[in-house]
Parts: sequence; C-alpha cells; structure tokens
Amino acid sequence: MKEITVALAGQPNVGKTALFNLIVGQSVEVANWPGVTVERREGFREHGGYRIRFVDLPGTYGLTATSVDQVIARNFIISGEADVTLVLVDSTIPERTMYLLLEVLELTSKVVVAFTKSDASHSAGVHINYDLLEKKVGAPIVPVSIKTPDSVRSLLDKIIEVHERGPSSQLIKVDYGELEPFIRSIEEVVRGSGLAADFPTRWLAVKLIEGDRDLESRLLKRGEIDILEKARSIRREAEEILKLTMPEAMAMKRFNAVIEVIKGALIIKGLPTKGGERLVALLYKPWIGPLLSMLLVSVLFTVVFTINTGFPLNMVLKSIGLSDLAGFTEDYSLSHVVSRCFDYLSQVVSSSISDSVLKSLIVDGIINGVGIVMAFLPLIATISVVLAVLEDSGLLPVIATSMHPFLRKIGFSGHMVFPIAISFGCNVPGVVAARASPNFGERVRAWLTIAFIPCQARLVVVLAFATALRSLNGLMLMAAAYAAALSVFIAVNKSLVIMYKRRKLYEEPELLLEIPPIHGPIPRVVWWIAWNQVKHFLFKAATVIFLASLASWIMLHYTPSLAYTDDYSLSVGMSIASIASPLLTPLGFNEDLAKFIGFALIVGFFAKEAVLSTIAIVTGEEAPAKALSVLGVSDAQLVFLTIFTTLYVPCIATLVTIYSESKSLKITISSIVLMMVIAYAISVLAYAVVSALVHP
Amino acid sequence: MLNLADAPRGCKAKVIMVGAPGTWGVRLLQMGITPGAEIEVVENSGGLILIRARGSLISIGRGIARRILVELISH
Repeated sequence: MKEITVALAGQPNVGKTALFNLIVGQSVEVANWPGVTVERREGFREHGGYRIRFVDLPGTYGLTATSVDQVIARNFIISGEADVTLVLVDSTIPERTMYLLLEVLELTSKVVVAFTKSDASHSAGVHINYDLLEKKVGAPIVPVSIKTPDSVRSLLDKIIEVHERGPSSQLIKVDYGELEPFIRSIEEVVRGSGLAADFPTRWLAVKLIEGDRDLESRLLKRGEIDILEKARSIRREAEEILKLTMPEAMAMKRFNAVIEVIKGALIIKGLPTKGGERLVALLYKPWIGPLLSMLLVSVLFTVVFTINTGFPLNMVLKSIGLSDLAGFTEDYSLSHVVSRCFDYLSQVVSSSISDSVLKSLIVDGIINGVGIVMAFLPLIATISVVLAVLEDSGLLPVIATSMHPFLRKIGFSGHMVFPIAISFGCNVPGVVAARASPNFGERVRAWLTIAFIPCQARLVVVLAFATALRSLNGLMLMAAAYAAALSVFIAVNKSLVIMYKRRKLYEEPELLLEIPPIHGPIPRVVWWIAWNQVKHFLFKAATVIFLASLASWIMLHYTPSLAYTDDYSLSVGMSIASIASPLLTPLGFNEDLAKFIGFALIVGFFAKEAVLSTIAIVTGEEAPAKALSVLGVSDAQLVFLTIFTTLYVPCIATLVTIYSESKSLKITISSIVLMMVIAYAISVLAYAVVSALVHP
Repeated sequence: MLNLADAPRGCKAKVIMVGAPGTWGVRLLQMGITPGAEIEVVENSGGLILIRARGSLISIGRGIARRILVELISH
C-alpha cells in the first residue's frame, strides 16, 4: 500500500491531541525526537487506498527558533519527510491561531487546513464563510469537530488530493510591505550560502531578518560569517528605518495578513460572559483565588491518595473512632490490593521451587521488583487521569495563574504548581512535570529541591515509625516531619534564589500562559492522554526501578567476594553500612544497631518503603512497630529516623529521572549531597531537642 | 503611554512596543500581542495580569508586563 506522511501542526490548546486521537485511534507509537527528550507521537490511518502516517509535531505558537519545539516542528516540515502538512486552526479564535498557518505556508505549499472545534464556533460568536476563506487562503479548509467524526473522512480526502496534486502556487503569501526590499536583499545574499540547498531562500531571508538564532548558529558553524554579517547589517538598517525591532515588525505584518484574509469571510461578535467564565474569574481574585485553587488541588490529590493508599481518609476515620472502616479503606486501596496479589504470587512460587538461590532470586529479586513497579502503577495512572482532566478541561493554566503570586516568593512561577503538587504523591512524575517552565534556572532549582517534598512512600515509613513511639504522640511526629520537609523546601529554594542573585544568574520567574475557555473534559481524550503517560512509565521508569531492585537483591544476598549468602550480616550492603555506621553512633545507637539501621537506610535508597521491609527481614518481625521495639530504638532515635528518612537522598527512581531530565551529573550529585547534609543536620538537631525534653 | 503592568482593570489599550527580550518577546508576538494590537485588561491585581488579545485570554507575569508599552483607548 502506498504511504503518505502527514505532519500535524497546531498551536497549543487548538484541540490537536483530540483530533490526532480521533484520526488514528489506538495506533500510536511514542518515541523521542532525535537528541532531545521531546515526545514524538505517530499514528496510522488507512484511507482511499493509502496508508497515512500522522506525525504529531509539538504544539507551537509559531516557527521561530526560540524553543526546541519550534525547531523540531519546522525542521520536520522542511525535511521532506512530510508529504503534506495538516495545520490546525481553532475556529473559536481564528485570528490568533491562523498565525501558525501563515508561518507554515512560508515553508511548504502542500498544506491542508483543519478548522477545529467547528461545533463551538457559533456559541463563541464566530461565523465563518468557509468557501470564501478557502478561496482566499488557497489551501483546502475542512471544518472538523470531535462531535462529528465523519468530518475526519473529508479531511483525509483532502490530504490525498493535495498529495496527488503536488506543490501549488495558488496559496496566499505574506506581504511584508516596506520590508520586502530588505528581505529581497538578504535573499540575494543567502543564495551564496550552503543553507540554500536545504531551505527555501525566501524563508531563509525572512527568518534571518527576524534574527533567528538557529539559522544564525548554522551559518556560524559553516564558517559563513560574511553572509551572517551582511544579513545582520541589512536587519539593522531596516530596524533604523522602521523604528521597530524586526521580530515585532514581522509578527505585525503576519497578523495584518491574517486580518486581510479573514476580512469578509468571517464575522466575530462579542458575547456576554457566561456563568462558567465568572466562576473562573473568581480564581483570579487576590487571596480568594489562590485559596480556592489550593483547595481544589488538595481535594483532587486527597482523593487520588485515598484511592491508592487509603491515606489520609484512614487517619480521619481512625481519629473519629471508625477504625473498622479505616482498615477497610486501607485494605482495599489499590496499592494494597496489588501488593497482596504479589505476596500471594511469591508464596505460590516459593513453595514450588526448591533451589534456594534460584528461589531467592525469583521471589525476593524479580517478583519483589515487579511488585514495587506494579504498586506504583495505579498511582501513576490515577495522577495521569487527574492531570489529563485538568489539562483537557482548561483548568490547569487557570490554577497555575492564580498560584503564581505565591510561588514567586520562593523563586518559582505558576508553571511549578503541578510539579510540586504531584510530588506529594511521587517525586518521579513531579520531576518530569518541571518541564512546564521555560526558565532554565527555575527548572534547575526544581530538580535540586523537589525531592524534599515528602512523597507517599516516605509517608508509609513515617507512619510505621510513628506507631512505634512509646511516649510521644504519633500524629505530632508526622506533622513535624511534614513541617520539616516543607520548611526545608522553602528555605533551600529561598537560599538558592539568594545565591543565584549574588552571582547575577537570577531571572525573575515569569508567567505567560494562554487560558483556553473551560469545558467539560472529553472522556476518550482524557483516557488517551493518561494511557500514553502510563505506557511511558511502564517502559522507562519501570525498567529502571526493576533493575534497581535486582541490584538491591544482589547487595543483600552476596558477600563482598561475590558468594551467595543468606546471612545479611555478611552481605555487600552490610559492609557498606559498617563504613557509614560511625555517623549513627553519636545518636546513642550501639555499634550493631547502627549497622542495621545504616543498612536499612541504604536499602531505602532504592525505594523508601524498603526501609521497613529491611528492618522486618533483619529482625524477623513482620510488624514494624514490634521490630523497632525488639531493636530497642528510643523515642528520640525514632524522631531522628523519621526526619532523616523524610529528607535524605531521593530514591533511585527519582535520581534517574533527575539525571534524564537535566542530563547533568553535577545537578544529580548536587541533589544527593544537598539532601544528605541537610537531612543529617536537621535530624541530629531534632534528636538533640527531643532527648533533652523527654529524658527517659 | 504607560506599561501594561500599570494599565487599570477593564481598560482597552493599544500595544505600542513589546520590549520583553528573547523567548518571552517572541512568544508574546506569536500570541498576538504585537504593536498595533488592541487588547483588553481583564484583571490586574496582586501578582497577575490577565488580558484578552485577538480573541484569546492570556495571563502575563508582572515582569513581562512591565516591558510592554501600551496606549489607553478607553476605560
């Protein structure tokens, strides 16, 4: 079957994901664009005797090289790999969203235009004469909507038509008016450049007069400095005459061209504000807005946590005396159900294997490793669904905007609301979500400090320590741990901001976000976004977590001379722990206990919840509270352990994610050192305070 | 003429100059905030500024807004 490759281009929020999903359904492959961690999604659809391959380009407002996304989009369109480019225009805000169409038309003439949300344009007060508009643009225009899946078929027909027709000269071109002579002079100059073989010269000239950084660095790399200098001097000349910077002048001309095209073909009437909009406006009021946002986010994540772990609903139920119901919420939470399944599997397997090394490898290593991954899975899935709902409904930018004034105080912008909120569940997706900020300094600070936010794995450990307390109040200890973690998060960020400011590296966190109208989320789009995230987690993070738990099994079961052992006290892990144990002896732990605890903390590096299981294995006591009292750990020592576990090194999955996001060993190691030092200092302080107050 | 950060809530204004440097500047222009564009200030309080430009609602941080020069058309 013949194949057509279609590049799918559109601005953010125009409904690109929804349309892509409508066209290709489940046939989606996710990879990365070469050399960068930007997702590349592809899907297929058969139609009219062709197999049509859709490549979803990153959503961008234009094609100037200010971000990786924009460079990826335009390089793909030019590369020739795309036979046809499908450009999406939002029919409810045509003026703004046609800007990208004009930029694409400067690169290629094999274009089909889809006007999305066509069912909503009337209620947005936009009336479009598609026949006239199509004539003026010169490319086929198809109104499409999620509610009318048939519209996709005529879109596919047009794609085949344009592919078979080939390039066209009937398309509108932007008239840059008084800038045209300057553009033509640059065109003359770039004809002598090697770049002219890869890009249309008119486009090169247009982008060079705009001061496109990617093209300028390409010229420099080729050693064509004279061409670059000539282009720059023409640009300066034009700027002097027009009294405007070139990016401003060019964008103005393009928008004027858009207005010229839509004149007569499109009527926009202002409509009165609707109830929904008024509600959203409330979120922008000072004080009320951020409080409402915080309430909304915390309610959402509380529900997510409760479904997954039973917390915090179980604590509430317990405190009002309904401990049966509390136990029920815990036992039937997703992560408990999953781990029970794996416990059962372990029992079945261990009773059917006789060889002890093999049994231990399969049960303690592999099943345990897979079990950890699977226990994470429902959490990642539910968080993905919540985020997809917020994203698809348009609430995400509203919340980010309303929280911005608060986050600014610790050097973050509204973009960081979600990375921080998710991190209370799990730091791994939190670190990934930090991509939302376009400010590099802000991202670095997020990578360094997000792991201070206590995730729920740490919560499990803290809970166990709290129950082992003798005279102190468990809830107080938990509150103290959370307060310590959050204060450290705020204090470290404030200090980083001061440090950055001293070195003159600080860039005020800024916000620039489009706020699309709020609408009910579309279930299939939500499901689809969430499912893609989950798949991503399964393939990437899961492999790492799995390998890490295998590594921890080896650390627990092999001696330094690489012989298998059942005795933990002879293992590699224990010999590492004995090196670290002097750090624990000042806290009143005797030498053996210091080794055990050090060992448990080292294992906790692989996954924080493993601290408990290790203590359980070492003491032979299933219940953590019992195990800790068998070890003879005092209340003050428990306080130390609680605070330390909450703050010390991010788990291996988080570390791997920090590295894969930052691509910097320095940042990754800094985050470990930062956390270790702060954790030790604060927990020793807490130990000192508690042992002075509550002397046995 | 005044900068966008000082434009009162509810006013309509015309953009004169987009002075924000680098990425932010280009992003603003691509979002339709170009010289000559008419915008409406929907909200301006505390740390945030909301405007309507070319049909879409956009939230802008105060630092960026300070670099955008506008001329009031009406209150």
